[in-house]
Amino acid sequence: MKPDTIICRCEDITYQDVLDAIQMGMRTVTEVKKAIRAGMGPCQGRTCGRLIAQIISQETGKPISEVWDSSHRPPLMTTPMGVLAGGHCDEE
Amino acid sequence: MTRNEYDVIIIGGGIIGAATGYYLTKREQRVLLLEKQYLGSGSTGRCIGGIRAQFSTETTIKVAMESVELFRGMEDEFGFSVDWFPSGYLFLAYTEEKRQAFLKILGLQQSLGLDVRFVEPVDIRRRFNYININGVLGGTYCPTDGQADPFFVLKGYMLGMVKGGSNVKTHAEVVGIDHHRSDVFEVAIADGDKFYASKVLNAAGPCSKSIGEMVGIDLLAEPERHESLITEGIEFKAIPMIVDYRPDGCYFVQRTTGQIIGCYTPEVQIPGTDTGSTFEFLTEMPRRIIRLIPALESVAILRQWAGSYTITPDGNPIVDKTDIQGYYVSTAMCGHGFMLGPALGKLMANFMIDDSWPYDMSEFAYKRNYQRDTEVLG
Repeated sequence: MKPDTIICRCEDITYQDVLDAIQMGMRTVTEVKKAIRAGMGPCQGRTCGRLIAQIISQETGKPISEVWDSSHRPPLMTTPMGVLAGGHCDEE
Repeated sequence: MTRNEYDVIIIGGGIIGAATGYYLTKREQRVLLLEKQYLGSGSTGRCIGGIRAQFSTETTIKVAMESVELFRGMEDEFGFSVDWFPSGYLFLAYTEEKRQAFLKILGLQQSLGLDVRFVEPVDIRRRFNYININGVLGGTYCPTDGQADPFFVLKGYMLGMVKGGSNVKTHAEVVGIDHHRSDVFEVAIADGDKFYASKVLNAAGPCSKSIGEMVGIDLLAEPERHESLITEGIEFKAIPMIVDYRPDGCYFVQRTTGQIIGCYTPEVQIPGTDTGSTFEFLTEMPRRIIRLIPALESVAILRQWAGSYTITPDGNPIVDKTDIQGYYVSTAMCGHGFMLGPALGKLMANFMIDDSWPYDMSEFAYKRNYQRDTEVLG
């Protein structure tokens, strides 16, 4: 991978950005995410999560199972507010 | 000093621990910060990043105004942006009683030099034409209130501490504090390491009660769950933090990323440190947002999560020394830790060295009457 290869497409995070975060002491996908916003965009890390786990694993020598700790939160897919608010928003 | 001896050991890697550690380091103290998980893994990293000085008591307003100044200067201080943006806070009153309460507090805020004004519904309509003002009887607006990214702020403090010779240890859960010698604390972490200092700061937020119990101190600080959500980014309109004061109200702001982020305070408190998410919030919060800004109906939600507010009976934090010489507390921020953190960090760092406050801090005293006698905003 080249330093400027995009790892997280939603937030424009490069391979070098991820390496810098690991250098700064981030050891898990969640820590890298919170340091540089990788995985905070519309796909919520579904695209980049595994890639970042691999990079951390390569750099730290830890197994992927130990570094890939991302939690999954609702909604399962991006959902418009009007859909979630359902029939409740007609009072005004 | 040997490798495991420090001037101060701070327990908790949220905004309070990090800011206090940063300012102690600036005053040439060698600090060890111990964090159970990673920096911001507790309440700080789960907060929505709002920063305001519109409070209702003198101490809090002063501390918050100092914090706003510190946030404004962070980009210069750290050498990178923390996404500070003065989006302002707009408080909305829907009852005459609340309108009167706002007007009363406004006088105190203005007397302390805060740039805050009363806005009539027509002013709100003019300035923020996307807000549905049905039922609004007025509000207060402070243009210097704002927002920042909690993780970028933590990063700045952490790098500053390390550069100044202090030590930040993550994934280091404190399991015991031994104080059998009166002039030194022995702090043990889960992997068996032990560290020594003559001063300890409990900045453990939701866990501060158990960290207090390790030295026999009982803190009136109980965590409760608050949920939040964030949407996809939309065109940046600098939507201020809108605080809807109805019983089924909410508060939300547009981040500099274009995303809408917000919460509401549950009508029934949910005690404990559980940070699970509920379907009730996921469906109720959008209803409350759309009621205020109908145009947001088509905006998609990316994520919903939860964090802990650590609450005292009177709604004020505990920031003080204790009965145990050298054991300090800065905790129970009642949902205001991120916004008050920078100033409280600076104040506590100086207090731990000089043993005095620059102004009256008795509202936050460890020993005080914890019964609520004034209305606390938000």
